[in-house]
Amino acid sequence: MNSTNHIIAITHLTTRIKQTVIAGLSVTFGISMYIFMNSFMSGVNSTQDELAFTTLANIRVYNDLPEYNTDFESLANKDNHWVNVRNPRRIQYTEGIKNSDKIVNLLRVNTPEQVGITTQVNTNVFYRNGAVKINGLLSGVDVENEDILFKISDHMEEGKWEDLNKRSNGIILGVGLAERLSVGMGEYVNLSTADNIMKSYRVVGLIKTSIASVDNGKAFVQINSVRSLLSKNSGYATDVLMNINDFEQARQVSDRLKGLTEYSVESWQESNGQLESGKVLRDIIALAVSLTILLVAGFGIYNIMTMTVNEKIKEIAILKAMGFEDKDVSKIFLMQSIIVGLLGGLVGLLFGFLVSFIVNTIPFEMPGIATLPIDFNIIYYAQSFLFGLMTTFIAGYLPAKKASGIDPVAIIRS
Amino acid sequence: MSDIALRVNSISKYFYEPETFQVLKDISFEVKKGEFLSLMGKSGSGKSTLLYVLSTMDTDFSGNLVINGENLTGKKQKYLAQFRNRHIGFVFQFHYLLPDFSALYNVMLPALKLGERSKQEVEERAYEGLKLLGINDQALKKANKLSGGQQQRVAIARALINEPTVIMGDEPTGNLDSKNTDIVFGILKELAQEKKQTIITVTHDDDFAKNSDRIIELSDGALIR
Repeated sequence: MNSTNHIIAITHLTTRIKQTVIAGLSVTFGISMYIFMNSFMSGVNSTQDELAFTTLANIRVYNDLPEYNTDFESLANKDNHWVNVRNPRRIQYTEGIKNSDKIVNLLRVNTPEQVGITTQVNTNVFYRNGAVKINGLLSGVDVENEDILFKISDHMEEGKWEDLNKRSNGIILGVGLAERLSVGMGEYVNLSTADNIMKSYRVVGLIKTSIASVDNGKAFVQINSVRSLLSKNSGYATDVLMNINDFEQARQVSDRLKGLTEYSVESWQESNGQLESGKVLRDIIALAVSLTILLVAGFGIYNIMTMTVNEKIKEIAILKAMGFEDKDVSKIFLMQSIIVGLLGGLVGLLFGFLVSFIVNTIPFEMPGIATLPIDFNIIYYAQSFLFGLMTTFIAGYLPAKKASGIDPVAIIRS
Repeated sequence: MSDIALRVNSISKYFYEPETFQVLKDISFEVKKGEFLSLMGKSGSGKSTLLYVLSTMDTDFSGNLVINGENLTGKKQKYLAQFRNRHIGFVFQFHYLLPDFSALYNVMLPALKLGERSKQEVEERAYEGLKLLGINDQALKKANKLSGGQQQRVAIARALINEPTVIMGDEPTGNLDSKNTDIVFGILKELAQEKKQTIITVTHDDDFAKNSDRIIELSDGALIR
């Protein structure tokens, strides 16, 4: 190594400390904004996911209508027949899943990734209390497994989730629903099914998920209770739900399972496309904005290094006259950019963390969160540092190349 | 070893902008070791152009350039840079020191680049050089804090540090007052006479030229004396 080059590079930096600091700050700014933007977007995305997955399972198995078959010609018997098709429609011969245990077993055996499986019987009912009559959803749940999938016990406003298991006529109401029905803990609420079967339940808990459709129109009871309400057998379920260890993989897993059962298998991406597209869009925005900022930082360095080269052009000529090679000259200037990039980058990492940390404490009263969400992930710090150094290298390379190509005779004679 | 420091053989050079123009016409001469040579001529005669051809920095010419017995025509830039570092010292009209470094470090630079001696040795030699030129008391001052005459003496010390075959000067006294001109000229003369240092300078100062060993005069790109 030629330490003379280092000494010259460092002297250039220290004698023009103002420009050095400004160039460094542009890197600092670029890197810290990259970190902040990506941490913030990732935080927003995981908050969104968390909210969504309080009611949404990764994979759902249910009994859908049969496929709409428009190939009527195949229905006709060979020749000499005329077939008249009028008002074709799909007919569902069975409702729900008769033997849910079989499906649960099937899922358990075929998906090593599963982290929880639960069964539900969902039905629309009328909730009544005196003159008040509210249309809503009743969910018969497997108390333990429901909690494994949705951590629903975290959202209990009053009472305990496990209390649902303690009495067969216990019910947990959404807070909004309870308020509209004017019932509280320990009081009774009546409900009637579509077939006008009535039953009375005792409120053992109130739940607040911050999802309006749940809080204002849903209640949970034991699964067997709904089965008997609907006069179904003990294996009956409308939905079999499964979570897997990585929800991003849900689509692949569901595709794999599709052939294994006659029921419909649906991943969360298929049923809630808007969640995924929103997420992808936010990621693109974050990346675009942060790369733009890095680019601007690159221009900052390019600008200042070009100015330095122009200012030092006589020194470059004299160095070359004394026998410094083109390579030495480009090293001297490239080294300056890299030093600026490294120092600015390190400060940027710190500053990015600081900005993220401060933003993370800003109150943001929205359902499910108290402050602005930030995902403190080391990967963004590594990425920003890498991209930052790449930018500085490229931005510094061009002026350094220019410096090394200077013709000393032209400068000295001018 | 022959006693020829530098030899040129039928050197020609053209400028192509704004129009083709022959700036050097078939120039040949020799310079002996320890000789103090002045290159003279009116402005535009091609004397500076010739000097920069001799300096190896300008490689766009035809003919042969031999310094210290080595033919340098057609050599690569990288090689020529190393050759300059080892064999040629420069003193320019406008001093051209690195302004942010001390006088001492400016003198040390070519030797540090050469890398034949340890930093400590280089520093001692540089200090000796400054002492020889009578400015050792300014050694640690920044170059841009020195007067013109002092800067030019630092430049001479820098040119000497690698004990080059030739020292080349482009009007080394052109920017100095008469007192400093005398000092700098005295130093160069002494180097040639006592240290047998070969010196080639471009000048249009007649007194300066008269006191040197030999004068080469150019007119319209051709050697006339």
